[in-house]
Formats: sequence, structure tokens, C-alpha cells
Amino acid sequence: MAPAIHIRDLRFAWPGQNAPCLTLSALDVDQGEQVFIQGESGAGKSTLLNLIGGVLVPRQGSLQILDQALDALSPPARDRFRVDHIGFIFQQFNLLPYLSALDNVLLPCRFSATRARRAGARPVEEARRLLDALEVDAGDAARPASTLSVGQQQRVAAARALIGRPELILADEPTSALDPRRQDAFITLLGKEVAAHGSSLVLVSHDPRLASRFDRCITL
Amino acid sequence: MKTLLPLAWASAWNRRLSLTLAALSIALAVALLLSVTRAREAAQTHFAQSVAGVDLVVGPRGSPVQLLLHAVFHLGDASHTLAWKSYQALAADPLIAWRLPLALGDSHQGFPVLGSTPEYFRHLGDGQQQGLRFADGRPFAGLFEAVIGAEVAARLGYRTGQQITLQHGASHLDAHHHDEDATHPEHADKPFRIVGVLAPTGTPVDRTLVVSLQALEAIHLDWQGGMPMPGLSIPAEAAGKFDLTPKHLNAVLIGLHQRTDVFRVQRQINAFGGEPLMAILPGLAMDELWHLEGSVERTLHGLAWLVMAAGLAGLVAVIVASLGERRRELAILRSVGAGRRRLLVLEGALVTVAGIALGMVVVEAAGHLLAPWLRTRLGMDLSGATLSIEALQRVGAVLATGIAASLIPAWRASRMALADGLLPRL
Repeated sequence: MAPAIHIRDLRFAWPGQNAPCLTLSALDVDQGEQVFIQGESGAGKSTLLNLIGGVLVPRQGSLQILDQALDALSPPARDRFRVDHIGFIFQQFNLLPYLSALDNVLLPCRFSATRARRAGARPVEEARRLLDALEVDAGDAARPASTLSVGQQQRVAAARALIGRPELILADEPTSALDPRRQDAFITLLGKEVAAHGSSLVLVSHDPRLASRFDRCITL
Repeated sequence: MKTLLPLAWASAWNRRLSLTLAALSIALAVALLLSVTRAREAAQTHFAQSVAGVDLVVGPRGSPVQLLLHAVFHLGDASHTLAWKSYQALAADPLIAWRLPLALGDSHQGFPVLGSTPEYFRHLGDGQQQGLRFADGRPFAGLFEAVIGAEVAARLGYRTGQQITLQHGASHLDAHHHDEDATHPEHADKPFRIVGVLAPTGTPVDRTLVVSLQALEAIHLDWQGGMPMPGLSIPAEAAGKFDLTPKHLNAVLIGLHQRTDVFRVQRQINAFGGEPLMAILPGLAMDELWHLEGSVERTLHGLAWLVMAAGLAGLVAVIVASLGERRRELAILRSVGAGRRRLLVLEGALVTVAGIALGMVVVEAAGHLLAPWLRTRLGMDLSGATLSIEALQRVGAVLATGIAASLIPAWRASRMALADGLLPRL
């Protein structure tokens, strides 16, 4: 089975800067593995996650997701690859405020045949199931995303990443807006769903207390 | 496209105020564009109906357009006349099937009074059929009898049996200036009785009162130089004793047995030895008129397209201006695999389509509401007008331009990096 993530000698710098803000000699994540990446603010955690997610492109080195070198793909092809294989939970959730929570969750199924197929015969049912499992009730699911609380938005963002069983789930500081008790509940729920789908999970956070729930912990 | 449309709609709805304003300016331009086209089409149909069946219009030599306007639309004052003797000489031509002598110059409440023969009702029509239908009554037979057009009857509330008096002098296009008409002396001593009301035709006949040529002679027996002769008054009952053969006509309408003879007859009339005459083909004179009108229409069209350009520039400005605040939205859409370029083009197309639809509704509604007014004031019939091929082509051109204009924000958006929108950076 192809590794979910395979990285060798990765270097990245923001345009116009010579000093690399991230260097990584090697990182391998197997399919189904749940990995925690911990580091101080500015250590390049988010940059790494965005490189893995194909939002940013490395300057040097090899980066393969499911045996596919992302920098070999054209930007539109990278967009398609991302939506087909990766579920991204952004730090600021990135929901469309004018769509309902349910429609936000269904977005990947609308634009990726792969995700829609894996979401089952009726993606709407799967979306409802995910929202239910993440404790967003049916009434809230019908409301515009902009009217939801931060905690609800976060769980909607998680459901959107999970729908259609992408091979890789990336989560960028998903708990930063929550109090410690809710952080715990969210990580538990996320871990359970990811495990149920057999997906890999890479979660970055500056908070070392979350590390105990993961198969592996990497410090940048 | 199927999946993108509801999303594009939801996104556009989220910014409905600015997009509605953009759509409104497009609607305005579409309405302007369509009404210019439609008014011209309605006017052309109206003109064509007005001369249906008439093969030649004969009058004193001069401007063909002026003769046409005077003889068919009863507009303007005739400076010259032709002699009754010339008419009699022409009428003898065996190629001519029918001829209608026309005398103008008097009016009633701003509507033109036409002197002709009872044949008039047999040969004119609305283009669909030959001959005028009577809503009530019959053609005139006696001396002081008048037949009135449908609009005259409707506007003035006249029915058969009523008495009216004519005013000396031609009518004016704007029938509302009664003060002006009041300066015209009245033929009050010789009232007419309305014996017939014509059914509506959508032609200038609707605005006309028709009397016999003899009657026009009779009311001018005791007149000279446009005023009643002082000290001379011939009562109506005595008028019949005089020779009422008209001496002058303003025009003659001619119908031929064979339309193919039209140029032959035209040449004969133009070469007429008695006095300088002119025979015109109404269709050709009409073309000349359209040629004159064409520059006005082109100007209006140019203006409509300028308004359209302003509307589309507004649309592009609204969408481009929104890109800044939509960086995040567009990046999110891209991160879930939705084409941003297609979304923005779709948005522009949606707004353009909404503007076009609104513009068409406005034109339809205005056409519907203004139809009676246009009919009475300008004699233009919009009720039958539908979307012509030409109008559809214009609408298609607007849509294509709108979509092409939307490529500008789409191109701008495609240059925005994904990371810009997704990462929390300034």
C-alpha cells in the first residue's frame, strides 16, 4: 500500500525570501496512521500542512501524497487531486457563510465524483450522519453557516473534511478556538471518525497536551 | 454547470444589492434597445398597412415624401393642388382599376376632414382585407353627411345621427391644442350629420372624418381667401342648386388591375401634358422616409449601446470590486474543487440574464400600458408586436457581451494564489 505521505529533503521559503522557513529531511505517514505535529508558533507547522495539502508548493525536495508528486501537477490538477483525496480542516474553518451547514458539508461531493461515490448512494444522508456524529443537530444543520457558534462551525468543517472518506485528513490548529473540555471532546470525535473511515490524520497544534491521543508525535 | 449553478446563485444572492443594481442598469439598456427596435417595427407595420392596396399616389409635382405624408397620413399642408380636369383625364386610363380623389384642408376638433367619394370605403383597408368595415351606419350618400373613423368616434364620443360642424383649415398633429383650432373660422352655417362610424383599422383612417367632395365645395361656396365673404350667405338648403363639381384636389390614390403595369402608368402620369404631375409608388416613398428616419434610429441605437456599455462596465466593476472581499470565498471554492473562473463567468451571465429578462418585462409592460396612448397619439399599434428575430439577435448580442465582460473578473481571480485566500495573512 502506498504511504499516505512521503517527504524527503523538503525546503520551503516564501516568495522574495531566501532563508527557508521550513526544512524537513524526512517524513513518512502510513495509511490509517494518526500523526500529531507539535511546535512553537512560527516553527512552520501550518506551512508544512499547507505543503502537504498542495496549497503551497515546495522550493526543493520531494513531496508525494499517495505516490503522487504534488509539484508535478498543474494548479487545476492539484485542486482536483486535493478534493479527491484530502480533507482539510482549516484553522479558521473556511465555511461559506451563505450556505447552510449541510450544504457546506456536501461541497466536496458536488465537485468531486470520487468523494460523492465514496459518500454512498445518498451523500445527503452521509452528511446528516456525520453532522449527527459530530453533535450538530438537524436544526443547526439547516441554518446558514454564518449563524453557527465557533464550536459548531468547527465540527461542520470537520464533517466537510470527512465526507466521502478521503485517504488523508489534515487539521490545522482545529481546537484553538475551543476551551480545554471541548477540545478534548472534539479530538476524540475526530479520531473516532477518522479511524472508522480508515483515513490517515495529520493534526498540527502548539498544544502538547493533545499528543497522547495519537499514534505518533513529531516536534518541529 | 449543474452543480455550480445553485452555488453561483447562493453566492450572488449573498451580494444581491450590488448585483441587483448592476442588473438594473443592464435592464435599462435592454429596455432602451428593444423599445427603439420595436417602435421602428411598429411604425413600419403601421405605415405599410396604411398604404396597403394603393399602387400609386398622384399629386402635383414636388417632394414624394411630402405627398405621401399629406395624401396618406394627412400630415402637413399641401402647397399645390391638381385640377379636377387632370383627374378626369387620368381616370380614363383603362389600366386603372379604381381611383380615389382626395381633398384636404378642413378639420374637426383637430382631426383631419377628407373629401372623397363613397368608393373610398370600398378600396381602402387595414392591409388584411380590402374595404373598410362599418362599426355602425353606412357610407355617406347625401350632401351634408359624414363618416367618422373609429378613433374620432371614441375620442369625441360621437355616434351616428349627431350633428357636427367643420373648421376651416388643416388639423394639427397635436389634437390637444384646441385654442389653436379655435382661431380657425367655423363652417357653422352648414352642419354635417354623422351617418357612419368605421371599425378600427390601425391606420390614419381611424383619425379621419370623411365627407363627399361636393360637400367640401358646398361649405366653401360663400367663402373666399379662407374667410367667409362679407354680405354673402348661402343657406345649406340652397347649396344643392349650385354646381358642386370640385375644382381642385390634393391627391389621387390609384389601384391598378395589374400591379405589373405600375411603372407604365407612373410614366404616363409623370409625362402628363396638362399640368406638372407626379405619381409615386408608396413603397418607394416609404423607403425614402425610412432612410430619413434611419439616422435618428441609428443615433438612438448608438445611445442604447452606450448605455449598455455603461451597464456592463458597472457589472464588471461590481464583480471585480467584490474579488478583494471574496478572496476567502473563492479560495474555499477552489479548495473543494469548484472552478472559480466558471463561477465568476456564471455570476456575470446570471446578472446579465436577469437584466435582460427584467428589461424585456419592462418593454412588454410599457408596451401594454402605453398601447392605447401610442395608438391615439401616434397611430402606432404595439399590441400585435412580438419579439422579432432582430430583437432576439440584439438580446443575444447583449448576453454574449455580458459573458465576455465577465471574463475580466474571472481572469483577475485566476491570478489570485490559493494560499492568499485560505491562510490567515494580511
